[in-house]
Amino acid sequence: MSAATSASVCHPMGQRIMLWLLRATALILLLLPCLWMLGAAFTPTLERLDHPLALWPQAPTLQHFQTVWESGIGRQVLNSLLVSCGTTLLSLSLAFPAAYALVRLRFPARLDLVFLMLVLAVKLMPPITVAVPLFSLAKTLHLLDSEFGLMLAYQIYTLPLSIWMLLSFVREIPVDYDEAACIDGAGLFQRLVHIMLPLCAPGLGATAIFVLIAAWNEFLLALLFLSSPSRFTLPLAVAGYVTENGIDWGDLMSVGMIASLPTLAVAGYVQRYLLHGFSGGLK
Amino acid sequence: MNVLRRWLPLVGLVGPSVLVLGVLALYPVLRVLVDSFFNVDYTSGHRTFAGLANYRAVLADDNFSASFVNTLHFTVVASVSEVALGGALALLFSRAFRGRRFVMPLLILPMMLSTLVCSAIWRNWLNFSGFLNALLAVFGLPGVQWLSDPSLAIWSLILVDVWQWTPMAFLIILAGLQSIDPELYEAARTDGASEWQCLRDITLPLVVPQIVLAMLLRSIDTFKLFDKVYALTGGGPGNATQTLSTYVYDTGFRFFNVGPASAASVLMLLVSAVLVSVNVWQSIRKTRTR
Repeated sequence: MSAATSASVCHPMGQRIMLWLLRATALILLLLPCLWMLGAAFTPTLERLDHPLALWPQAPTLQHFQTVWESGIGRQVLNSLLVSCGTTLLSLSLAFPAAYALVRLRFPARLDLVFLMLVLAVKLMPPITVAVPLFSLAKTLHLLDSEFGLMLAYQIYTLPLSIWMLLSFVREIPVDYDEAACIDGAGLFQRLVHIMLPLCAPGLGATAIFVLIAAWNEFLLALLFLSSPSRFTLPLAVAGYVTENGIDWGDLMSVGMIASLPTLAVAGYVQRYLLHGFSGGLK
Repeated sequence: MNVLRRWLPLVGLVGPSVLVLGVLALYPVLRVLVDSFFNVDYTSGHRTFAGLANYRAVLADDNFSASFVNTLHFTVVASVSEVALGGALALLFSRAFRGRRFVMPLLILPMMLSTLVCSAIWRNWLNFSGFLNALLAVFGLPGVQWLSDPSLAIWSLILVDVWQWTPMAFLIILAGLQSIDPELYEAARTDGASEWQCLRDITLPLVVPQIVLAMLLRSIDTFKLFDKVYALTGGGPGNATQTLSTYVYDTGFRFFNVGPASAASVLMLLVSAVLVSVNVWQSIRKTRTR
């Protein structure tokens, strides 16, 4: 960015105005639907009919939030929290040792490459292709319509993502720390817990955020696995409202707001760390 | 004994992940492969060998060919548009300006939303009595059947996907732009290169890896298209927005035809394997050359 800093100084005025106009247009196009959702959540149903273009209501109301609260959205928020936190905990505790081993240990017969390829292939394959057997498997194990079953199933998305992200963070830790601890007689487990864990804390935090978002927003497997509304996660709640006949836009958008606030809040964080998620630290 | 002590840590560290991925991915893929050659009775689980009958049935199904064409159409148009627009955005926002730190997180808000929430917003915007048509009416233009016109519906889905995921391509390409050495531009300008020449001969060649990465990731992701179809069109009108994912979902979970659903899954896996293997090959190569 500094490249252009010096250059932009000598830009003619017209060009700079043009640049600002384009930037503003892009920002408006990307933000308008989000702003519309915010306004619609507070717009009384009748006012929406009269002023379909208004971004903010003349008489803001909490009526929609009240309606969806009474329909039990609180329960679904709790379910979503439970499922995404459980998924994250499980993913990180599986992925961290694996990422450590991939970076530090020697594998026989290049099995590390085989494992990496498996991780990537799972990360990239369409989950619907394995949905039928996964569903029968969960049915046999009585894991359908259970939060725990969904946490396990989500590992198909989040475990490859976690391993791949953590790989880039573990790589950044100098091997000297390990060697020093080794000389002091620390075993593998001690090195992992007392040396690597604290050093990788920022990386684990970033990975946790990505896994939380992925689990919080996931729809397909939740649709297949959960059948009773008391166990629904938020995307399923949204789906319930959106496929209804005669949608109440205010209700739908207030559920949308509730489902989006946590992820929107961490947008700045994601923007900084996104590249770790799929490039393995490609700089 | 020695062998055991040498490899035991490895098994302990990687074993659990391998086990989980094996049960969740390898086993189901093999199961789908096997089931695709059988007639499976969903309720009893009874199976009889069917040879290639499932594949023949799927390939002869007009719904499947429509899904295939729709998926390819969506994948190509959406990912190319996202990368092109993302690149343009990256050029616009890579330069330092006042308030940049504040604006950057706002630019990626669409991709932070759950696809379902995103579809919910656009369900209104694309509705016949919704936001976009009200906007057109202000300019005296007639309303458009965004979702119920069979030839337009898939373009509306593309529009929604482009809105949601252009920020992703933007972030990837931006990282590429920012890693270019500023001195290159200074040198070029000293030699009298124009803005356009700088863009064509310095910027573009240097961000090719990021463009390729964005293209691969977006095409792999758009190929999976399911949520938006489910929430916006239900595959309709007719089968105008049916995709491979919704085809497998309908066959397997609405009509419980496990055999044909498995055959369709295998065909889908084969196509995505092409996309995936390019990506795996690229990523592994990158890991090795570090």
